[in-house]
Amino acid sequence: MAIVLRSVLLALACALLGGGAWAQVPAPDGVARVLIVSSDTAVVYTQTAEALTDYLVHQGIPRSDIAQSLVSEMTMRLKSGQPPRPGIFVALGSEATQLLAAAGTQAPVLSALIPRSSFEHILRSHGKVVSARLSAIYLDQPLARQLALVHLAFPQAKRLGVLWGAESSDRAAGLRALVVASGLELQETRVTQPQDLPLALAQVLGGSDVLLALADPAIFNSATIQNILMSSFRARIPLVAFSPAYVRAGAVLAVYTTPVQAAHQAAEVTLGVLRGKPLPEQALEPNDFEVGVNAQVARALDVSPDAQALRSILRRLERLP
Amino acid sequence: MKMLNIRTRLLLAALLPLILISSLLGAVFLLARFGDMQAAYDQRNRAVVRQAAVASEYGLFSGNRLQLQALVTGAMQEMDVRWVAILNGRGEVLASAGQSDQAFSLPMSTLEMQGFASDRRLDWLSQPVLPSTIQLDDLFESNGVEATQHPPQLGQVVMVFSRQSIDKRKHDMLLSGGAIGALSLLFGMVLAVVLSRGVIRPITRITQLVERIGRGDFAAVDKLRDQVAANDPLQELQSHIHLMANRLSQAHGELEQQVDLATHALREKKEEAEQANLAKSRFLAAASHDLRQPTHALGMFVSRLAQLPHDRQTGELIHNLDASVRAMQNLLDGLLDISRLEARAVQVNRRPFALAALFDQLQQDLSAQAAEKGLRLRVRSTQLWVMSDATLIYRVLLNLVGNALRYTDQGGVLVVARQRSSGQVELQVWDSGIGIAPEHQQAVFTEFYQVGNAARDRTKGLGLGLNIVQRTVKLLDHPLVMVSRPGKGTRFTLSLPGAVGKHESVEELPKEKPVPDDLRGRCALVVEDDALARSALVGLLVSWGMRVAQARGPADALACLTQGVVPDVIVSDYRLQEGYNGLQLVQRLQQQLDHATPACLMSGDTDPGVIQAAQTAGLTLLHKPVRPAKLRSLLRHLLMEQPPQRATGADLS
Repeated sequence: MAIVLRSVLLALACALLGGGAWAQVPAPDGVARVLIVSSDTAVVYTQTAEALTDYLVHQGIPRSDIAQSLVSEMTMRLKSGQPPRPGIFVALGSEATQLLAAAGTQAPVLSALIPRSSFEHILRSHGKVVSARLSAIYLDQPLARQLALVHLAFPQAKRLGVLWGAESSDRAAGLRALVVASGLELQETRVTQPQDLPLALAQVLGGSDVLLALADPAIFNSATIQNILMSSFRARIPLVAFSPAYVRAGAVLAVYTTPVQAAHQAAEVTLGVLRGKPLPEQALEPNDFEVGVNAQVARALDVSPDAQALRSILRRLERLP
Repeated sequence: MKMLNIRTRLLLAALLPLILISSLLGAVFLLARFGDMQAAYDQRNRAVVRQAAVASEYGLFSGNRLQLQALVTGAMQEMDVRWVAILNGRGEVLASAGQSDQAFSLPMSTLEMQGFASDRRLDWLSQPVLPSTIQLDDLFESNGVEATQHPPQLGQVVMVFSRQSIDKRKHDMLLSGGAIGALSLLFGMVLAVVLSRGVIRPITRITQLVERIGRGDFAAVDKLRDQVAANDPLQELQSHIHLMANRLSQAHGELEQQVDLATHALREKKEEAEQANLAKSRFLAAASHDLRQPTHALGMFVSRLAQLPHDRQTGELIHNLDASVRAMQNLLDGLLDISRLEARAVQVNRRPFALAALFDQLQQDLSAQAAEKGLRLRVRSTQLWVMSDATLIYRVLLNLVGNALRYTDQGGVLVVARQRSSGQVELQVWDSGIGIAPEHQQAVFTEFYQVGNAARDRTKGLGLGLNIVQRTVKLLDHPLVMVSRPGKGTRFTLSLPGAVGKHESVEELPKEKPVPDDLRGRCALVVEDDALARSALVGLLVSWGMRVAQARGPADALACLTQGVVPDVIVSDYRLQEGYNGLQLVQRLQQQLDHATPACLMSGDTDPGVIQAAQTAGLTLLHKPVRPAKLRSLLRHLLMEQPPQRATGADLS
């Protein structure tokens, strides 16, 4: 009965959409060319998945070629022995990426909405490297962009404070080079133990004008962020962070990529793959971004950054359209 | 168990539940209150510690000892706080305040801990200081790949609280609760006492009421009903009691009325009987008085007749005549004795005396009578002395032996005296007579009772003897016992108190001593209104050789004196005409003669008043019929001993 009803409804929908509408009916997973696997049902993933789909459809990919799935469903289907065979997997989030990396699919896997540290962790744990079969678009902003933002927002700042953790210390060399180029002085400290954080923070704050937070869950997490923010605020050192959540929590500035922006970038890569191009051999950094400002904290610190202006300047500097 | 009175029971019934409830309520509320206080104390302490932990988070994170020190100093201001310490993650004390002797060292723990040192009344609480988390909700953190690390413990806050103030508050509360309980209990007691009084008073009143009704005071009910208030809880009971009392009162009244009626009837009967008895006595007295005059005269005439010379036949006739007169006189004497004993006119003259003389007299007086019947009268001689009235004892013995002789036909009569170990002396009269049947033994002592003499043969006596004996020994207070067996004989035993003998003692018994016949030629004044008696008396006195002046009444007697008669002795009748009695006349005559002339009175009256009057005046009262021998003996005494001072009361004949 239900099947009959669904068929009638489908027929009705096809009639409304006009002739040649067959191509637009979402195809079963088995025949979909793009399979989007979300880590869970969080808004950020559904939003990204929707934006991705819309973008692909907009670019001429029939909606029937695009399928969406969740990690839980995917796990069952992989176990059932009838794995889906799309042209490309788009994994949204760490869990989806880990599942697909572990499954060893034939189709290339593009991971999006994933922090650098997580992706690298997955690669390490599965003994893989970034390749045409498994690539990613990081959530983390490029160091240059962040440095440029610091420079733009706090032109008078001379000393940049950075805390390195286990996950982030491999970027230290890159940052140092950039810092030197920009004429800033780097005040950096490595935190190996969580207990060392207060001392390290105090050291860094003592010798810097701006504190740049680089994503590292060992240092910046929900348990530490309050005290870090408090310390920096007391020291009247602005904290430039990497996520809108930090701006809400009290960081004066953050540069980040929105789900829609990430979806667009992923869609472009997907389109390339669908058109025969391989996945990029290197993990990609986000090409679009937003700047967030906590006006309350900015006022308290006597600064008045303009988020839109900063974004525009940064985009111009990076020669982005 | 001791019985509780109604008041105590009521009070207990009222107070015990009160005490129980108030104690239980007090205990429950106090305990609940203590629990609340303790809970509030615990909560507040925990809140203080948590607050301190939250406040110290950043200080611990930043290692700011100054800030922490300020914090602990501030925490010390909180109530009951004795010691505060903030430890860092490695367990080092970064800041502390308070009395160090109340410090606690505790291991680091991520849990809230607390404890109580009961010896010092101290509570310690520890609170881990953990970094406060902000939910970042960003992809960098919730990657789900790496295990989420436990946020490191920043440190620990330890605070020590003293229970001193809460203990004090508990103590105060206990005190005030106790005070309130005691006050309410006191109030309850007062209330119970007051209320119970409202119940007890009516009960007490009713108890008293019933008690008074029990005593017969029925009027108490009406008196009480006026006091009863309308709201009396026992009003109904009281009204019922009132009803009951009224019924009782009515029944009581009716009963009394009946008793009164019965008593009245009895009294009437008694008065009737007394009237009848009095009438009988009057009749007897009148009859005996009227009998005495002729008998008196007859005795005198016969006595005079006997003095004349006669032939043998006439002599025998006169002898029989004399015996008949004597029997008649004996009857009258017996009646007189009884009346005197009844009138208590006999005076007891108690003194020690020897029984020997008494026995001799008895032998002398009655041996002739015994010999007449051919009986043997044996009076065993004795040396014993007794304490009693010799005259009365003699009279008793005379009656007992006379009786014994009368009822004995063969054998004899024995009189003995025995000394008893108790000091008593027993006088016993044995006879071998007809005896007295047991059914008659009690009756023989009554007047005129004679066993086996329905025909009233006067030779068997008059039936007065034992009655006189009994009355006499009763007067003397000597016990008399009779033992008798019909056909075998009778034994009377009289117990007397013994006495020490006095050999030089004079003879007590009145005894006719042989005195010279010195009446001859003496002058006697005879006053007698009865002509027959006067002539008999005058004739008798003249026959004894006396000169006699005679008078019919007081006027004649006084006239005699004026005619020059000087009597040596006055013999007067007691009952005279012309407003004088013999006593007054004698006194008048003695007054006129200016000389205490000896005198004697004669009377047919057995009136105790007359006997008393004569005794008081010191005059001898001779009762008619007077035996000529007795009169002669008396006259001789009177003329011999002038004036004779004799105990007249003791004279029974």
